Parts: sequence; structure tokens; C-alpha cells
Amino acid sequence: MATITANISVSSNVLSYPISINNSMTMSKAGSCHGLEETSGLNSKKIESTTAFKLFGNAEATEGGASKVYIRNTGASTTDYFYVGYGEDLDKATVQTIGRLYGGNWMLIPWDAVGATTHDIYAKSSTVEPMHIEYMAFTE
Amino acid sequence: MATTTASLAINSPDLQPGNRLTINASSLLMKTGLTEGLDIYDAGTGELTVLMSHKKLHDSLGTTDTSNWMYLANHGTDDTHYIEVGLRDTIIGRLYAGDWMFTPWNMSADTAEWSIEAEGGTQKYEYAFFKSTYVLADSAQGTINP
Repeated sequence: MATITANISVSSNVLSYPISINNSMTMSKAGSCHGLEETSGLNSKKIESTTAFKLFGNAEATEGGASKVYIRNTGASTTDYFYVGYGEDLDKATVQTIGRLYGGNWMLIPWDAVGATTHDIYAKSSTVEPMHIEYMAFTE
Repeated sequence: MATTTASLAINSPDLQPGNRLTINASSLLMKTGLTEGLDIYDAGTGELTVLMSHKKLHDSLGTTDTSNWMYLANHGTDDTHYIEVGLRDTIIGRLYAGDWMFTPWNMSADTAEWSIEAEGGTQKYEYAFFKSTYVLADSAQGTINP
């Protein structure tokens, strides 16, 4: 059993008083206090195409589990981005686009792979200019 | 202009034997394709019961394909309970007790709302949305001054 901790800190002056969100989680298996044990490893890719590409296949995770996915655009562009979503082709309505990662943006989400290709996780660059993406899955 | 910074630290001494895992990331949350910070914010806390079933956490009433962010945490304490998180009709994943998530949200369609459902028992949750644009939902009262 591994011990994996993830800490988030968000600060903002969007209101007239400071906003501060701080939270920590220990990544555990579903319904258990035991830690997640497997990982895809930390990956990094250089992308020079606007064709969608797979980051994680649903078979990598346990259906109904407590898997987590970390993804980051390691670039610096404020205009170019990676779409991230579930499914195969992020241009079609049958696929769920989650959001855009601009340069420096990161995300950490739970992943219920549901045992279907609808829950493969894909990314797609907005440009043919080189961009780098970093990603890692934590699974049971 | 608001300045919002989101930082992450992931650590594990033993996930990969002989290779301590340390990931640190930090980013400024900006409006779509600009250098201007996000300036619309919604946040709160709540309690979900199993009987409530599927509930909308946030409408998708902003401009589609924009830069928006969601933070959601499950403040429950029972390891066997979880909150199922969905985006439109797609299950994203499960937040077990103590788990949190932070994700971009491009409001890809006007039906791309976030939803949550308690499984196993009553759970407390906390959320925050940082948004580029947003339009308040129509009032059921129609016009205030006819």
C-alpha cells in the first residue's frame, strides 16, 4: 500500500476580502483506508498536431474505483491550450469535453473509468505549434 | 482585475519504490485566451442525502468554450461513502470522504452542467467556481415592475 498525498492551495482577490482554499487528501482505494497502489507513471509528451490523442485507456483503471488523474499543460501560452475530455474525438457531440488547459494550468480529477471507451481520457491541442503536456494516473 | 492562483503538490514516498514522487504545479487562472484574471466567483457548502438523488451543482449559463474552473471537496468522514460527480450526462468520477477535485470547465454546451449525487450516506460538500462569464438564471417572477 502506498501513501499518496495531494495538497491544493487557491488564493484570490476576486472578492473584497481574500479567498483562500486549502485542502489535503490522501488517495485511498474505494471504500477503504488503504492507499492507491498503481500508477501510469509520470508522462510527458510534445504535441505538434491538432489530432486528439489518448492519455489514459479505461482498462487502466478499476470500474467504480477511486482513481485520480493529474494533467498539466507545461507550456506558457495564454492563447494556445489542450482540450481535455472523455471519449475519442473531442470535436463530436457524443464526447464530453471537460475543459481547456492553457499554459501552466493543471487539473486533478477523480476518474471512474466505467469499463468503456467512453471513459478513455483524451487531449487535443488547439495548435500545431509545439506544446508539452504532463500526465499521470493513480489507480487501485 | 482579480488575481487567482492555484497550486498543487503531490507527494508519495513509496508509490514508485526508489523514486520518491514529487509534483509541484502552480498557475494563474485567466480568462479565455487573455491575460486578464477571472473575476466571477461562486462558492458554498452543502449537504447531500442519498434520497436527494441527482442534483445540479452548477448551471452552464456562461459563454461556451470559455475558461472556468471548479473546486469540489467531499467533507464526509465515512470511507465507504462517496459523491458521484457528473458533467452533463457523463460520470466523471467518485469523490470519497476527504477527496477533492480541481478542474477546468469550458461550458461546452448550455447543458454542460455539473451534477452530484450522494452514495452510501449523507455527505457534506464544499465547492467554488471561478468563471469568465456567467448569466444569472431567469427569475420565475417574470418582470419585477410590470
